[in-house]
Amino acid sequence: MRDAFSSALVRLALADPRVLLLTGDHGYSLFDEFRKRCPGQYINAGIAEQNMVGMAAGLARVGFRPFVYGLAAFVPIRTVEQIKLDVAHDGLPVVLLGDGAGFVYSHLGTSHQSTEDIACTRAIPSLEVLSPADRFEMTASVDRAYEANGPVYLRMGKSDRGDVHAGPIGTLSPGRLLQIRVGRADRPGLIATGSMVCTAVEVAAKRELSVWSAPSLKPLSADDVSAAASGSSGLITLEEHSVLGGLGAAITEITSERQPVRVLRIGVPDRFSERCGTHGYLLQEHGLDRAAVERRVDEFTASI
Amino acid sequence: MSFDETPGADNGHEMRFDPARMRRTVLEMAYAGSTVHIACAFSIIELMTVLYRHHLRYPGNDPRAEGRDYLVLSKGHGVMAQYACMHELGWLNDSHILNYFKDGSDLKGLSDSRVPGLEVTSGSLGHGFSVGVGIAMGIQRKGTDQKVYAIVGDGELNEGPIWEGALLAAHHKMDNLMLIVDKNGFQAMGETGEVLALGDLSAKFASFGFETLEIDGNDEMEVDAAICRLWASGRGRPKALIARTVKGKGVPFMESDNRWHYTRLNAQTYAEAIKALGFSEH
Repeated sequence: MRDAFSSALVRLALADPRVLLLTGDHGYSLFDEFRKRCPGQYINAGIAEQNMVGMAAGLARVGFRPFVYGLAAFVPIRTVEQIKLDVAHDGLPVVLLGDGAGFVYSHLGTSHQSTEDIACTRAIPSLEVLSPADRFEMTASVDRAYEANGPVYLRMGKSDRGDVHAGPIGTLSPGRLLQIRVGRADRPGLIATGSMVCTAVEVAAKRELSVWSAPSLKPLSADDVSAAASGSSGLITLEEHSVLGGLGAAITEITSERQPVRVLRIGVPDRFSERCGTHGYLLQEHGLDRAAVERRVDEFTASI
Repeated sequence: MSFDETPGADNGHEMRFDPARMRRTVLEMAYAGSTVHIACAFSIIELMTVLYRHHLRYPGNDPRAEGRDYLVLSKGHGVMAQYACMHELGWLNDSHILNYFKDGSDLKGLSDSRVPGLEVTSGSLGHGFSVGVGIAMGIQRKGTDQKVYAIVGDGELNEGPIWEGALLAAHHKMDNLMLIVDKNGFQAMGETGEVLALGDLSAKFASFGFETLEIDGNDEMEVDAAICRLWASGRGRPKALIARTVKGKGVPFMESDNRWHYTRLNAQTYAEAIKALGFSEH
């Protein structure tokens, strides 16, 4: 998935000299290829994220196409105001890349974990929000971010969970849900984003549940969500993000108006991580490990 | 045309940008809109006058011309001074001035970049300078001779991103960028020295790698000469002009009285201020 990201970015930068990669002194080996092939388009802006995002807005104002990379805890979270005021307010073509979203930095604690980034970015007008689940969605997301020619937040979460699509997905249409699995209409359907799409697929198989991936969180197609709701007995959302303001919230915003249906939001409860450990350990702490998800899915299914 | 070849060139606007008339425009707006920040605008009138009259290039008098110089008003609280300049240039008309703050109008109390002539959306401090640094970097990469000016308040220097941007501008040798500090000695709640002492600003920016000059920012001749001198010196270094100014400059009862950061005009103070500028009441 990270290779797909790097390849797509290198491809875009080679094709368009206006593409610049700005990093807040993060990225390590992720940008080896970019630095080798497009050294003049690589800018390490130092450990100064606020200035970096403001600067990206300035570069975009004079015709460049900045991709701004940081850990999600810093880009967007530390720089929400710069994104709102300097970038999104004027619809500038700046792509914000937030890496390590969710609990990727499971051992490092709260400063490096990000479970509020979708909520914050969704509420900023004109900002598009992408959250790919596998390498195919990643390639399509990077391309979409470039094609959007406007402000985009691209969320990069746990990246080693394997593929959910069989092959390339082509062009990513903003807002569309991608159906991964067709299940029974008399059971709830699962809508997941990012790393949790894999979990959704694992959980759905023997339960004959439908699964949709939501790589594009804003905009979000009300038609697609309504169709998913009307073709299921209820909906269950899964995300490695707070249950407040993220995918689950976005889905209920639509269903409550368009297709009232019961929705179970599975995500990070409204609290910080208590302890540290592996990514798997933290998922467990927050009730997002496979066993806990299965339990909640089964309870919800039985309650409908 | 480069500034190095034609220091202090007159852009053909000598008759425009009369400081007293611009202050009157600010008062008219502030009175019409019953708004605040008059003193914040008054301190930078001469800086604005000199920049617009002698330095800023807008091909075809077009505020959005691609090859223009950029004036980033990072201290958005002084935006009425910029509106007054835009009025002098004909980018704003009398109706814009007299209908300031009317429901549905475009001109806000703080800079909004969607208005042609304003380059950034400011008011939340410490933003515009970073955007200016990005514009300067973009111009540097394009290799044109466009210049970027960023006016920041001395109170605004409390904000961290200013110093992040200063580090970066020096590191990337942005000699097309001039930071202008409106050193009027006040911020919202008091004197800068009382709130958060700034120390020796020239020395601070010099230590960051800027070419610096400190001058009387309400003296047009000094401002013009300093801008010319800064552009002509220190190749590969960004510029910092520390402009000592008087907050509320031009109307004696407003000068260095920080209440005029947030006091509104009434009929009497409006008339007195207009008169103090040398105009008859109207």
